Amino acid sequence: MSGEDPQERPEQIRNIINGLERYNPQAAEVLEAYLQQQCEEKFCDGNANRALLKLYQLNPDRIKDEVITNILVKAMTQFPSPGFDLCLHLLSPSHSNPGPNSASDLSEAVSKLRALNLQLEGAQYAPFWATLDSDDIYADLTTDIAGFEEMIRLRIAQLLSQAYREVQTSVLEGWLGLDGEEEVKKFVVETCGWKMAEEGIVQIPKNADNEAKKTEIREDVTIDMFSRVIKRSWEDSA
Amino acid sequence: MSFQTGMAPARAMDNDSDVEEEALVADYREQVQYEGGGMDDFDHPSVAQQAEEFQSRLVQAAQPLDFQATLETKFASYDNYCAVFHHILNSEGPVDLKAPSHYWAWDALDEFLYQFNTFSSYRARIARQANNEEEAQILRDNPNTWGCYSVLNVLYSLIQKSQIVEQLAATKRNEDPMAVAGPYGQKEMYRMLGYFSIIGLLRVHCLLGDFSLALKTLDDIELNKKAMFARVMAAHFTTYYYVGFSYMMMRRYADAIRMFSHILVYVSRTKNFQKNTQYDSITKKNDQMLALIAICVAFHPTRLDDTIHTALREKYGDQLLKLQRGGPDSLPVFEELFKIACPKFISPVPPDFEKPESNIDPVDHHLSVFMDEVKTNMWSPTVKSYLRLYTTMDLKKLAGFLDVQPEELRSWLLVSKQRTKQLRWADNGHNGLLEGELVNISDLDYALQGDLIHISEAKMGRKLVDWYLRNLSRTYA
Repeated sequence: MSGEDPQERPEQIRNIINGLERYNPQAAEVLEAYLQQQCEEKFCDGNANRALLKLYQLNPDRIKDEVITNILVKAMTQFPSPGFDLCLHLLSPSHSNPGPNSASDLSEAVSKLRALNLQLEGAQYAPFWATLDSDDIYADLTTDIAGFEEMIRLRIAQLLSQAYREVQTSVLEGWLGLDGEEEVKKFVVETCGWKMAEEGIVQIPKNADNEAKKTEIREDVTIDMFSRVIKRSWEDSA
Repeated sequence: MSFQTGMAPARAMDNDSDVEEEALVADYREQVQYEGGGMDDFDHPSVAQQAEEFQSRLVQAAQPLDFQATLETKFASYDNYCAVFHHILNSEGPVDLKAPSHYWAWDALDEFLYQFNTFSSYRARIARQANNEEEAQILRDNPNTWGCYSVLNVLYSLIQKSQIVEQLAATKRNEDPMAVAGPYGQKEMYRMLGYFSIIGLLRVHCLLGDFSLALKTLDDIELNKKAMFARVMAAHFTTYYYVGFSYMMMRRYADAIRMFSHILVYVSRTKNFQKNTQYDSITKKNDQMLALIAICVAFHPTRLDDTIHTALREKYGDQLLKLQRGGPDSLPVFEELFKIACPKFISPVPPDFEKPESNIDPVDHHLSVFMDEVKTNMWSPTVKSYLRLYTTMDLKKLAGFLDVQPEELRSWLLVSKQRTKQLRWADNGHNGLLEGELVNISDLDYALQGDLIHISEAKMGRKLVDWYLRNLSRTYA
């Protein structure tokens, strides 16, 4: 999983998250800087980011709201994956469930992101773009993450290619959050390398996932499975 | 990091002169031993007394606390653990311990973590209910008692002192672990404490909701019958429960089912040799794991071992049926089973006594996050049950059958298809539990051509080996 343990992870970070340094409150600053780097350079290190959330979990006085939301947005770009949920599990319950008397900016932001992530996880791509557009708060929350929309769009396209051989441009337009058929054509041809078939239909090249080939699952039989029986018959006869 | 530096618990170090005295005495005792050249050190009265007292502390450390123990008793018990671990970790050189029982190391750590768990839950409840000002005040005044950092510190220190990680790595390489064990790790008691502390970390991380770190903790431990934990039934059982649970929370249902199945089959095969008292304590966890298997099977339909399948149908037959049917009716059943079977999650920091309503039960928090994924998947059983009937199907027609909008059905199809890919752990002796290969876990596959759904079902060849072996062993017996 490249979004969990990316190649870009530097030695220093590796030492922190694999050793006891991960409990040192001072390590938070290093991990925060690393998150900043991830945001700028468009990669994601789920394990390092969760180590940072863990430090916040143990030292709530160190919490920086925008760091938490940036981690969540980063995790969101990895959909579908348990990454976002694993982050939520590390947040204090009061941060992810805004109560009637405890609504803070952070808990409101987290619940907004949670709803957004649910749409991505539920493959409700068109509603996702609509939600993203519906409130300025989303622009604020994703502003630090370079290329956020582009990453999401690419990921959606990749997931579609695993399920579709052909897809209507009208459907794609909503799913990719693009305006008009021309934009869709440009994106699928130039970025994805797909072909326009007849009018209004995009053809996706064959791959291992969009064929739905018939297979037969056979049982692999190895001699090891019989080792006990053979051993026993050997012993009995001896 | 040792006990002296870093995150030493405040109580043990600062306010508890007993502990320091104890360490001094232990120092002294060792000097006497050294000068005496192996002479019996018990002839010194005060030393003998101290040793006896320490022995009783050891016994106490493995004793379950009374269910209705007062706050005072819980604090005293914490102090006792601090004294014991302080002595074990901070004496000059390794201490010669006479373990009060054969598996004292497991019993003591198990009880230590159990008390940590119940204390944290209790403290949170007092804060939430806000009807016991007296106890709330005591808890407010002692935020570090049973503190999370202290508990983690004990476990990590035991792991470090015993060099258990290095030892396990050497064993994996088929080298002599004693060569890297160091002065502490060469002693059986330290080795056991170190080893079971790793299992303890798995548990604590899981209780705090850090499921990936929980699994990472076991990187050095090999999950097989030769593993040290397998010698202690309770340890064996605990390990698989937490590993399985963590897998489930990481959406690796095939791996979770495999872990739960392994241990449940093991229990059912050995239950005739178990002493009754031990078996009783296992029955509850047994049922919990069956409930978790039911949840995992709902996410990932698969064939179970016959013994488990029978037990599951007996215990949770109705619930399983509802889970497998999916839809909104299944949601309360998911919640019910999750609550029965999950660990008693805790928060690592003291609750906010000033704002009772802000202290949400961690169990509810983790449940609500888990339910997000349940809801995302709840239409998969319905969709799949229809798809199984056809080889090609028009999406709009199917949407009509299901009485939903085509857009919605497209999402369901994508979700269901995306979830058939799962990471699965391959046991080849050196893979960490977090590793795995992405495999297709469903026998049903489909692809879309515009609105036309092409469906293919993998044909299952008959599985004969298991049947053959079972009948063969029956004939033998």
